[in-house]
Amino acid sequence: MHPDDVTGRAPAPGRRRWFDLGLPVTVFVFCAAVIHFSLTFDEVPEIIVGDSMQPRVFPIFLMVVMGLLNIALILQITRNPPKRVALEPGVTWFSVVLMGVFYILAEHVDMMLALPVVIFCMCRLWGETRLWVAALTAVITTCAIFFSFDLVLEVRFPRGVLTNIYYG
Amino acid sequence: MVADALISMLSVLSDPYLMGLILITTVGGVVIGALPGLGATTGAALLLPFTLTMDPVPAIAVLTTIYVSATFAGAITAILINTPGTSAAAATCLDGFPLAQRGEAGRALGIAVVASTIGGIFSVIVLSIAAPLLARVAYEFRPPEYFALTVFGLSMLASISEGGAVKNLMGGLFGVWLATIGADASTGVERFMFGNYELYEGLNFIPVLVGLFAISELLVQSTTLKLAMEHIAMKAVQLPSMADYRKIWRTVLRSCGIGTFIGILPAEGATVASMIGYAEAKRWSRTPEEFGKGAVEGIAGAETANNAATGGAMVPTLVLGIPGSGTTAVILVGLMVHGLRPGPHLFTEQLDKVYAIFGTMFVANALFFILGLFAAKLFARVTLVPRNILWPVVFAFSVLGSYALAQSMLDVYVALIFGVIGYLFRRFGFAVAPVAIGLILGEMVETNLQNSLKMFDGAWWEIGMQPLAALFLVLAVLGIMQPYIVGWFRRRKAARS
Repeated sequence: MHPDDVTGRAPAPGRRRWFDLGLPVTVFVFCAAVIHFSLTFDEVPEIIVGDSMQPRVFPIFLMVVMGLLNIALILQITRNPPKRVALEPGVTWFSVVLMGVFYILAEHVDMMLALPVVIFCMCRLWGETRLWVAALTAVITTCAIFFSFDLVLEVRFPRGVLTNIYYG
Repeated sequence: MVADALISMLSVLSDPYLMGLILITTVGGVVIGALPGLGATTGAALLLPFTLTMDPVPAIAVLTTIYVSATFAGAITAILINTPGTSAAAATCLDGFPLAQRGEAGRALGIAVVASTIGGIFSVIVLSIAAPLLARVAYEFRPPEYFALTVFGLSMLASISEGGAVKNLMGGLFGVWLATIGADASTGVERFMFGNYELYEGLNFIPVLVGLFAISELLVQSTTLKLAMEHIAMKAVQLPSMADYRKIWRTVLRSCGIGTFIGILPAEGATVASMIGYAEAKRWSRTPEEFGKGAVEGIAGAETANNAATGGAMVPTLVLGIPGSGTTAVILVGLMVHGLRPGPHLFTEQLDKVYAIFGTMFVANALFFILGLFAAKLFARVTLVPRNILWPVVFAFSVLGSYALAQSMLDVYVALIFGVIGYLFRRFGFAVAPVAIGLILGEMVETNLQNSLKMFDGAWWEIGMQPLAALFLVLAVLGIMQPYIVGWFRRRKAARS
């Protein structure tokens, strides 16, 4: 649990009830989606599946059990409402955004360029005030990991702007 | 047979490469365990890709050594900065930090080192004796027994200390569902692939584990950046005095048994063991009022139990292929990646490797005793590594580690997605270990259910008619009900008193 979970502010009772029920509602939507997609699976001929079960049965069974547990969760929440959780600080949101930036750069430019950029930005975002420390961390970490994976573990990285120069 | 086993265990000592690797990994494990947020599970998940090019025994030696040494090292930060390096050391904070505040940090760490070593070595001895015996029994298991056993394993998630019974079971089921992604093993029908053929063989375990444990922890750490830590200075680690030994020996013995037993139970781990070890130490103490104020029995009870759980948790992992904890889930993946099939067959087909694993755990316990005594002060300094440097580096390891196994960018994105999912789980009070355990057990549950149905011509109720399977299913029901039964007894006791 978050150490800085509790804000101490009591929300309006009606609003709180709806907010608390957001989680079970999400779970129900997830279960419904899984069951929906399971029902689209190909039917396997009786001769192959024999006395066993169709591929759709097990996921549906799981979601039915999950739904039952979700009802138990709703009862728990109704009897004992959870503590109100504070909204994440900006650092957390931006860290997630940086992961998205990593995806875009890795997919369209080069993973080995995406990595130092994201490490540098993350160092700065998390409070590193010295530019050279953040830059050095980004470069040294990327180089150390790249060469250890490439030379020792013989892992070949996807081609991109920088790796094209290295691989030739 | 016994002689062969002993030779295999001793072969570890005579192999300089393996000994060097264990030494380096023990140091690494202690550093990882001492860093708040980076525990044994995250450490093992991050290092797993680095073992890919190793032979099976050194690779598993790295993972088990990380497990053993990081579990111990959580005590260093628990005692010195009141922040458990691993969740298994949370109970150690309760008395370790107050004792350190009284200026006796060296004594507290000395007791933690000795108690952890005794617990760890005891559990390795039990593992060496119990695992082959249990393997002989498990050799007779058929699909119905295995199905019931995996259901029992999943039911035990209900009593993991984090989260709560309902949420843990939901997490476990989510993990089992994740295991259904990809082609169905018996019919080849594509499930939840949405046209992505890289998912044909299912989700790779490593990126999911890296995301759930390492990247989600990164996001959790980002929410606590403003929290300041109080560091307590220490001169040197002191071995316990005779008076301390007289005070703690009963607690240590009791916690050895508790930790090993809890560890053997599927899905339970060092965290639960340390909590129970601590609670029992308090219950049987002649001076329970000292607990929470720096009682040495409290430190010994928690530390012995959490390290004793490491060997115990390896029993179901190796013998049945059912992870005994979050970290052994990662080790189990390591075994599979290196071509070792966990289960009773492991004990007939590759006994030498199994005993070499036991040997490495034994050596790792002995090594962290020496390191703990002589270098704990140095290791305590790693807690001073700024988080704004540490966690971006962890991010880099997570990303490249996820990529390394299949050399697929999809795995990197899977790790990132599961990092966010893992964070959301934790944000809403769910633990992530049940998801990992469910993912690993998922295929086992479904395949054994399918095979059982084939065995009994579709008569599913016949599974419950098999004596051993029925026993496991009853235990599963008790496992699910256990938190409620315990709660009922507590309420009744409280009402009486």
